[in-house]
Amino acid sequence: MQSDKSLLLEVDHPQAAECRKAIAPFAELERSPEHIHTYRLTPLGLWNARVAGHDAEQVVDTLLTWSRYPVPHALLVDVAETMARYGRLRLEKHPVHGLVLASSDRPVLEEVLRAKKIAGMLGARIDDDTVAVHPSERGNLKQALLKLGWPAEDYAGYVDGEAHPIALAEDGWTLRDYQRDAAESFWHGGSGVVVLPCGAGKTLVGAAAMAHAQATTLILVTNTVSARQWKDELVRRTSLTEDEIGEYSGTVKEIRPVTIATYQVITTKRKGVYPHLELFDARDWGLIVYDEVHLLPAPIFRMTADLQARRRIGLTATLVREDGREGDVFSLIGPKRYDAPWKDIEAQGWIAPADCIEVRVSLPDASRMSYATADPEERYRLAACTPEKLGVVRDLVARHAGQPTLVIGQYLEQLDELATALDAPVITGQTTVKERQRLFDGFRSGEIGLLVVSKVANFSIDLPTAEVAIQVSGSFGSRQEEAQRLGRLLRPGSPGPDGERKVARFYTVVARDTVDAEFAQNRQRFLAEQGYAYRIVDAEDLTGA
Amino acid sequence: MRNSIARALDGLTRGELSVLDALVVAGQTTDPEVAAIVRAEPGYVAATLARLRDLAIAWDSPEGLRALSGVGDAMVGGPDAGVSGLRPRSAAPRPAAEIAEVLAALPSGARALLEHVIAEGGTAKTGSVRVGLRPEDTETPAELLVAHRLLVPGGSLMPGLLVVPGEVGLVVRGGRTTAEPVDVAPTVAAEERSPRLAASAALGAATDVVRRVGLLLEWWGTRPAAALRTAGLGVRELKAAATQLQVPEAEAALIVELAHEAGLAGTRADADGNPVWVPTSAFDEWAELSVAERWTVLARAWLSSPRLPSLVGERGPDQKPWNALTPELSAAGMPEAKAMTLAVLADLPEGHGLAAGTGLPSLVARVAWERPRRPRTRPDLVAWAVAEAAVLGLTGADVLAPYARVLLAGEDPAPVLAELLPPPVDHVLIQADLTAVAPGPLEPDLARRLQQVADVDSHGAATVYRFTPASVRRALDAGWTAAELHAFVLAASRTPVPQPLSYLIDDVVRSFGRLRVGLASSFVRSEDEAALAALVNHPKASGLGLQRIAPTVVVSSLPIDVLLLRLRELGLAPVVEGPDGVVRVGAPDALRARTPRTREVADAARAAARQAAQVVSAVATLREGDEAARSRPASASTAGGGVLSALREAIERGGAVLIGFTDNQGVVSERTVRPLVVEGGQLTAFDVDAEQDDPDAERRYAVHRISRVVPVS
Repeated sequence: MQSDKSLLLEVDHPQAAECRKAIAPFAELERSPEHIHTYRLTPLGLWNARVAGHDAEQVVDTLLTWSRYPVPHALLVDVAETMARYGRLRLEKHPVHGLVLASSDRPVLEEVLRAKKIAGMLGARIDDDTVAVHPSERGNLKQALLKLGWPAEDYAGYVDGEAHPIALAEDGWTLRDYQRDAAESFWHGGSGVVVLPCGAGKTLVGAAAMAHAQATTLILVTNTVSARQWKDELVRRTSLTEDEIGEYSGTVKEIRPVTIATYQVITTKRKGVYPHLELFDARDWGLIVYDEVHLLPAPIFRMTADLQARRRIGLTATLVREDGREGDVFSLIGPKRYDAPWKDIEAQGWIAPADCIEVRVSLPDASRMSYATADPEERYRLAACTPEKLGVVRDLVARHAGQPTLVIGQYLEQLDELATALDAPVITGQTTVKERQRLFDGFRSGEIGLLVVSKVANFSIDLPTAEVAIQVSGSFGSRQEEAQRLGRLLRPGSPGPDGERKVARFYTVVARDTVDAEFAQNRQRFLAEQGYAYRIVDAEDLTGA
Repeated sequence: MRNSIARALDGLTRGELSVLDALVVAGQTTDPEVAAIVRAEPGYVAATLARLRDLAIAWDSPEGLRALSGVGDAMVGGPDAGVSGLRPRSAAPRPAAEIAEVLAALPSGARALLEHVIAEGGTAKTGSVRVGLRPEDTETPAELLVAHRLLVPGGSLMPGLLVVPGEVGLVVRGGRTTAEPVDVAPTVAAEERSPRLAASAALGAATDVVRRVGLLLEWWGTRPAAALRTAGLGVRELKAAATQLQVPEAEAALIVELAHEAGLAGTRADADGNPVWVPTSAFDEWAELSVAERWTVLARAWLSSPRLPSLVGERGPDQKPWNALTPELSAAGMPEAKAMTLAVLADLPEGHGLAAGTGLPSLVARVAWERPRRPRTRPDLVAWAVAEAAVLGLTGADVLAPYARVLLAGEDPAPVLAELLPPPVDHVLIQADLTAVAPGPLEPDLARRLQQVADVDSHGAATVYRFTPASVRRALDAGWTAAELHAFVLAASRTPVPQPLSYLIDDVVRSFGRLRVGLASSFVRSEDEAALAALVNHPKASGLGLQRIAPTVVVSSLPIDVLLLRLRELGLAPVVEGPDGVVRVGAPDALRARTPRTREVADAARAAARQAAQVVSAVATLREGDEAARSRPASASTAGGGVLSALREAIERGGAVLIGFTDNQGVVSERTVRPLVVEGGQLTAFDVDAEQDDPDAERRYAVHRISRVVPVS
């Protein structure tokens, strides 16, 4: 137990697994490199634990039991105080006044009522301990209360929504244990977020949640291709037929009992208004599924604030948001309901193990000179797109000939160049959806062995056959992107003829001594923190690696 | 004499003071008689009298046991300080039975008055009370009391006062000096604590405080904290320290004070001569000690420290917040409050700590009983002592730690503490994310070396270090070689060294020293490499401090003018190159001395020159004035109502005007402005003069202060 409220867990200790189980409910796993995992106590984590029914005494006891060294008293006091903050305020349904904010702790209620930000959201004071809440402000109020450090527990319940029969069609496959657990903990909790690694089958958790809800469902996804995948998966895995599932995207605007919409179309703004907001009111939705909740754009948060009476499930591989809005996810979508470490699922064989290699190329002197004199904002592009990378990529592709390979990059010219040099099809934002589908299908079926893709392939594209990814450039140091790209490789393929499981290879080609290498370091650190050992090799030594 | 009596009394408990009070009331007496009038166990009274005799506050005169003269006057305070409020007995007291008889016959009004007087200290003003009457002639209850000799005139010692003799007061109180037992100390509300929790909390705090003091001072050693003029530590510095130490400011204040009290921090002048807080040389010795020894130093310093770190941030009498390390921030009673508090905690049954809620008030009451004569700020002092003791790890969960018990007993707690502390570890676990985790307190030597090559990511019982390019570079700067670095991480790590770390080290080593910086006073440059080679190898060039740093560049430690001469002496023909790369050619300066002049000539010349200068400057000033007048906008100044109309006109026109106005300091100045609106006696205008600095420079001027408005085009 460290003074910055992080917990260090020695993985090789015989009792490590037991300890992990004990602390997992309240501590967030922050880093999981090979020997020592770092967990952190955060208010959100502690409140999540409260939601899951753990009290401060249990947490303190767990800390004392498992800590090898004395635990500073102040930290324990802090844990108890933080946990006691959750649930002092409750949102309830009042038989007469509708939605009310109630408290058993009058000073807290007073403090909150005096906060300027809250004043407009509340109605009349009903008695000393209860205040009426404008129903439309349910979400905003929760958000504001969290910011004040007094998160409210939401007991106000949900509307059932329009009933619609949905069942899982488990023919020849079954829900994995963790998927079932995840769906169930979500359902019992009401609303919340399920955290599962890329490739672990989050779609099925969504489907299972729908089967629980038995109601019309709105599914929000990142892009059209991903929407199609959701649709295919739902048709395949549930009793839903193609006619029951609508797509609401830039091209098609169908509203069906189960509707899949993209973030992009919903957040399109015309003349200062969001024309597609009607979608939320188009039906009496019983469940809303947010795919990749860590990417949820700000306008959707605002819209979600108005949907507090509907059940919400968020699906994500990581709650880390680059914009730091984890608190909004907590208050608007709901607390974390399920979480499983990547490595655990990998050990169960549900996601493929990966081998991460960073290949450093040296810039030739001429390039170094133009890099040195370039404008700072140009530097990354210059370094990332250095032609030196081409040779390395070619070597790598040749090395893994026969294995389905993705070359991922950020800059279109670079991708085009690579595609020409490698004689491979390229998919970018400009490629039509139809063409994309065709190429992805070809890749999946094995017709196409090599694809050059831009960041459109970062998310939610299911390419289970991919075994090798070569990353040539990225969005600066985004850890998020790194996780997503690695995620492309983690769908477990079928075991080879010799029974050996596939080991994914993830190459990152970076230019030495440039910002490219600095960004790569940031992303590599994320991989290492996820427990993926990685190596750094010089391009010249590649043949030996 | 009076001071030493007061000091002796200050050290007594309320019970002891009550016994002493009884002795004063009794006058010359015997041990059994004192025991008879004190409401306490006879044994307690006997022991107390023995103590009073030891202190020489009570002594056996030939006529009997008595208190030292002056003690009676020194007994001040109310019942809380063990003062019963009874007067000393008369020299020849009436028998108690007789007094009781008189009392029994008193009417209720008189009895109530008597009790009131006793409760108020046993004296009353004589006023209009007539003295010397027979009981049947009295008209008021007071006169009746006087007639019965229950109130007697104070005589020459207390003129104008009536006094209740001690023997009367005793009878009224039922034969004892107090109504309540005096030998029962208030109990401290305690409850049992889990020994594991208590031990863990205390040890955790003890190691933390040692670590934090070290951390603070190491930090100050590299980045000294500015000291205030009062020698205190500013709010901003305290905040920075709190962030650095990851503690609340209140705790940071305590750590800062602790470092200072232990003699580990002091002030010195920084490069600019401003006072700054830095570690003292004692810190280096302290840092060499074991954790337990370091803690002992801090704990001893704290015990004897009168400082009040808990007041830091609170407002003082002048409404200014107290700063840490401000010299005034201390109270003489603090060390005693700490000692008493810990002594009371030490008296609690094994494994018991202060009860939640009621514990602290009861502790305050108990300390008040133990030292009743130090009342004023005691509740605060005791509360602070409790809080600070917890931070120091003297207590854990308000249970006194075993090593703290040893410390209070005046012995060395270090061995006891060392026994309880986790043993230091001699290895770290290095991981692929370039962190090295020390799974426990590191051996000091290893910790120091690791700190050179890696940054600390998180502190606690364990430490997380992170290797970064900057930290590796720092190690190289400190003289490590690549081989040493590799060997060190290999030896320190219990796990295999991850490849990325080895790569990182090699990568940093590769670029280390790529740029070289050196000191030279001048350089010699030539496109002719052979010429430079010849120069460097010239037999007479050895004194020139030449060093060839590139085929075409030689640097010299000689200043340029000397080098130039010497090179010319060698028969070379150098030219000087300016910073812009342009060649400067100039004939060498020929030497001249100043022409000597006679005094008169000099004076006359100077006077003439001065006069000429004055004329020139006067003419210039006049011309400038004329010029200014000519260039000023044509229209004459406006005054009074003219100002307003001129402004309005300018607003309509949207044009600029030159306004003359008097500012708050009474200084008349001029601005060129574009008036926007005149409202409520105020002109809002766009300041054209300030436009360059501030594109929306809107200013407000009071219209009555504007003396002139001149339109400008």
